[in-house]
Amino acid sequence: MSPELESDTVADPNYDDEFDAIVVGAGLAGSAAALTMANRGLEVLMIERGSSPGAKNVFGGVLYTPTIRELTDFENAPVERYVAERRFSMLTENDETAFSLRPGEWHEEPHNDSYTVLRGEFDEWFAEQAVEEGATLLTSTTVTGLLREDGRIAGVETDRPDGTIRAPYVVLAEGGNSLVSEGANLKATETRENVAVGVKEVLEFPERDGVIEDRFRLTDDAGVSYHYFGEGAVGDAFGGGFIYTNDDTVSVGVAYRIEDAATHDQSPEETLNAFKSHPAVAPLVRNARTVEYSAKTIPEGGADSIPDLVHDGAAIVGDAAGLVLNNGVHLEGTNMAVESGYHAGNAIARAAENGRVGAEALQVYPEALEESFVVQNLEHYKWMMDAVEEDRDLLFEDLPRAFADAGTEYFRIDRTPKESHAKNAKRAVLDAVGGWTGAAKLALRYRKVVT
Amino acid sequence: MSWTIAVGVKQVPDADEVGIDPDTGRLDRASAPAVMNGPDREALEAAFRIRDQAGGEVIAMSMGPPNATSVLEEAVAMGCDDAVLVSDRAFGGSDTWPTSLTLARTAEALDADVVVCGEETTDSSTGQVPPGIAAHNDWAQLTYAEAVDARPDENRLVARRDVEGGHEVVAADLPVVVAAAYGEFEPRPAPLHRKIYGENDFEPTVWDAEDLEIKDEVGLEVSPTSVGGMETVDPVERKSEVVDDVDDLAESIEEVVA
Repeated sequence: MSPELESDTVADPNYDDEFDAIVVGAGLAGSAAALTMANRGLEVLMIERGSSPGAKNVFGGVLYTPTIRELTDFENAPVERYVAERRFSMLTENDETAFSLRPGEWHEEPHNDSYTVLRGEFDEWFAEQAVEEGATLLTSTTVTGLLREDGRIAGVETDRPDGTIRAPYVVLAEGGNSLVSEGANLKATETRENVAVGVKEVLEFPERDGVIEDRFRLTDDAGVSYHYFGEGAVGDAFGGGFIYTNDDTVSVGVAYRIEDAATHDQSPEETLNAFKSHPAVAPLVRNARTVEYSAKTIPEGGADSIPDLVHDGAAIVGDAAGLVLNNGVHLEGTNMAVESGYHAGNAIARAAENGRVGAEALQVYPEALEESFVVQNLEHYKWMMDAVEEDRDLLFEDLPRAFADAGTEYFRIDRTPKESHAKNAKRAVLDAVGGWTGAAKLALRYRKVVT
Repeated sequence: MSWTIAVGVKQVPDADEVGIDPDTGRLDRASAPAVMNGPDREALEAAFRIRDQAGGEVIAMSMGPPNATSVLEEAVAMGCDDAVLVSDRAFGGSDTWPTSLTLARTAEALDADVVVCGEETTDSSTGQVPPGIAAHNDWAQLTYAEAVDARPDENRLVARRDVEGGHEVVAADLPVVVAAAYGEFEPRPAPLHRKIYGENDFEPTVWDAEDLEIKDEVGLEVSPTSVGGMETVDPVERKSEVVDDVDDLAESIEEVVA
């Protein structure tokens, strides 16, 4: 007697309109949207081009987690270290002048919701949270375009054979290089003044254990976030450098305007190598082995560059929507990605409950985002990129130089009285900023950075 | 007529992730994720090409633990019409003899006209299972097949075989077992809707040793292979010397050559 095959196999599977929503990209914005919609009972398909979520994702290294904490069992999340020190450093070619904060509060839960993470692990975990709530994840599949019916968006096209699938809602969470949204005329291609390039290496220290703890003065799960500005960080480009500590690796990188990368004769890789060789940086990364090299584009157009966030049958979230804040002191994007995915997911769930697909039914998403910290912060710092651009020589070259000179003068040890050292120090700074009047103007112009 | 084409697929540790324990010299398979044996993807492609020509069904078969369903789901995602997992604790410790017997009986139960296998598996590399299936069933075999050409009118399958110094073209009467030469059959991408179905909604049929009536013919007891011992080979220390100029180098070379 021969055994039989069970006969319920589907010969010609078709999933058109089987899902309520398709999410393009399983990064932080996409998974937040998928998780939110799955939580509210929607059937969600996430389509990710990488072999696993996070495989293609790049960011500097610090994730701000208030919203993720709300959405998940965060204590199981694969974080590297909490941020226990933030350090801001001005570099000239040879000098460093730094300002460092180590508040005791950051050592305590919830650690100011600031953690270093590696996206390969974190994004996979976050997408898994959506799958556990019932979402379906499809990897190694690239969305190449949108399906339109009667003018509205009704599904996606992918790079696979038989590759079109219909669904009432599409969430575009495709990241900064948003070819699908641009191809479908949902947003304009960003000008190169508004795009930064980021390159980053993950370094390990094979010689012995404890190198990171020793060099960065850390115990247990504490970590650091170091930001660097000035010509020692990225030459005369518009941007900066960073170092973040992971569990047993360090992320080191630079980010600056793609315009500068295109017009200068130094490649991003060379800029990163120069940064790593700076006398204030090199000792932190010496005897390291590079285990990962990555690069990405960062939308930095701010509030003015946010496209229309909702369309008939679609919403744009995360980097694809240009939701990145970089004002020098704050570098944020992933938290805004999660926040936008959450609000878009909620808006779609509500529209689906009412059986509506038009853009007006999704309008609660941009409205919620307007009221959230995301747009509030982007609006608040809108003026800043222009101001910094205007003062770039002063801020990135003259001031770091002046502060280094002032410090050198102020603490000079010789046989002249300290009063003359102090006078020299003061003059170094005042010369750079244009006297007391210049200093007052500068203080007025940038007061909103911290207020 | 249309053919039933069975394809043997195996779950193996991801070769890219398998490490070697520096102390024991043994392969550390446990930490590597389980994936489909690479050559089996090409076997599936060869099977699809045969189906394109002759019509019929491609059915993936795997012998393995219950969690090996994932490779069968992947096979269905890639284009198989159905899949069967043959799983039983009684199979534990089976070498290539009972393994090929099990797959031979499975192919028979599926009423297969053609069995396609990968050239070998990346975790044991014997290449014995495809000929073993043919031997157990007394079927024809076409090993190291670089290309396949189905002739449904003649009830024959023609293959170009890689042989030393060139190739030969061989026609075999059905039923026949084919071992696809690795690197010759670039797998086609999975269609979108099939991929969603295979990975999420498909569940393979499961048969056990009892179903195939081979309970007493499998497992460690009846496996003729016995491993005499394991030896780790230490790398040979090579002599190295730094010389300061070309003449010294020439001298050193002369010494060796002389």
